[in-house]
Amino acid sequence: MSDNLEHSFVKQLRENQNIIHKICRLYTNDDDAHKDLFQEITIQLWKAFPKFRGDSKFSTWAYRVALNTAITLYRKTKRSINTVEFEGRQHFLNDVEYDYEEEEQLKLMYQAVYQLNDIEKALIFMYLEDKDYHEISETLGISEVNARVKMNRIKGKLKKILNPLGI
Amino acid sequence: MKELDLLKKDWQKSDNSFVQVSETEIYKMIHEKSSSIVKWILIFSVLEVLLWTFLGLFSNVNDYLKEINHLELILYFDIFNYLNYVVIIVFIYLFYKNYVLISTTTSTKKLMQDILKTRMTVQYYVWYNLGMVVVSCIIAFTIAFVYNPELETIKEKIASNNIAMLITIGLLLLIFILFIGLFWLFYRLVYGILLRRLLTNYKELKKIDL
Repeated sequence: MSDNLEHSFVKQLRENQNIIHKICRLYTNDDDAHKDLFQEITIQLWKAFPKFRGDSKFSTWAYRVALNTAITLYRKTKRSINTVEFEGRQHFLNDVEYDYEEEEQLKLMYQAVYQLNDIEKALIFMYLEDKDYHEISETLGISEVNARVKMNRIKGKLKKILNPLGI
Repeated sequence: MKELDLLKKDWQKSDNSFVQVSETEIYKMIHEKSSSIVKWILIFSVLEVLLWTFLGLFSNVNDYLKEINHLELILYFDIFNYLNYVVIIVFIYLFYKNYVLISTTTSTKKLMQDILKTRMTVQYYVWYNLGMVVVSCIIAFTIAFVYNPELETIKEKIASNNIAMLITIGLLLLIFILFIGLFWLFYRLVYGILLRRLLTNYKELKKIDL
């Protein structure tokens, strides 16, 4: 591949790297794994780059390839639910009647999202990126209706994780 | 869901919180190798061929065949060997093709098809190799018993005694099964794990399309 192509890829990737960082944040639980997945996604993007014809934005295309990589190609270790998560939940259960601070609420939310499966994470990711259902459906290769149904299911699941007793 | 809105707000603020990767680092990354499952299938298949070839260097089949005065068998043996190599090279090429396909695909549907195809190829490959082991065993036993003059007297003795015959057949079968079992275990270890991971990926992908 020509140097020109490589240069254009590297430049665009550097500008759009936060997309990948965010995906890594959802799919990994420590710095090393984050770096690993970042590199794996970069490699897959580079391999797929000759097929990127610029008929969509670089970022849109990168979402698709990066999520596919996170979901399918990269799975070295089974993620285990770590103790921090568990403690967080316990804490929440004890405090359920009180108003907790935003910070705490956010932490719990992140932990809850982290417990979703790979596909659900992909959807939540697109949602957090403020993509509409049309874009979500295109990126993940599912119908718009399906994306909506799934998103609702995920919201239900998150609620259940946050509040297992349904209080 | 108000928690989700809160998360979304925080999420969109998080852009500045990541340590930025420089262009030099990206250059370095894209020149490194990928660690995907399909790539390992390719690597293992090549290593395996190298291993068998290497072990083959130490085998003295040709000397053995010369010793028992059946030089014509050397030719058959060579043809058999070369045919085997051709088939295995075709398989390696197919693995390579699958690898390229899977690593560059951007559509989920296509990816699922490619995963299924790769699994099939690997399964055929393993069955082919196991089949080859069976065929080789049969050939080896046949040559040893039919062509080796040293075994003539033993053969006669065995033939005259029913119990000895049964024991011999039993022992041979046992060795045969043990041998194939070993190979089966080998393939199960090397490719079984990779195949299972591919299947998990496939299942996850399928969930998206319920």
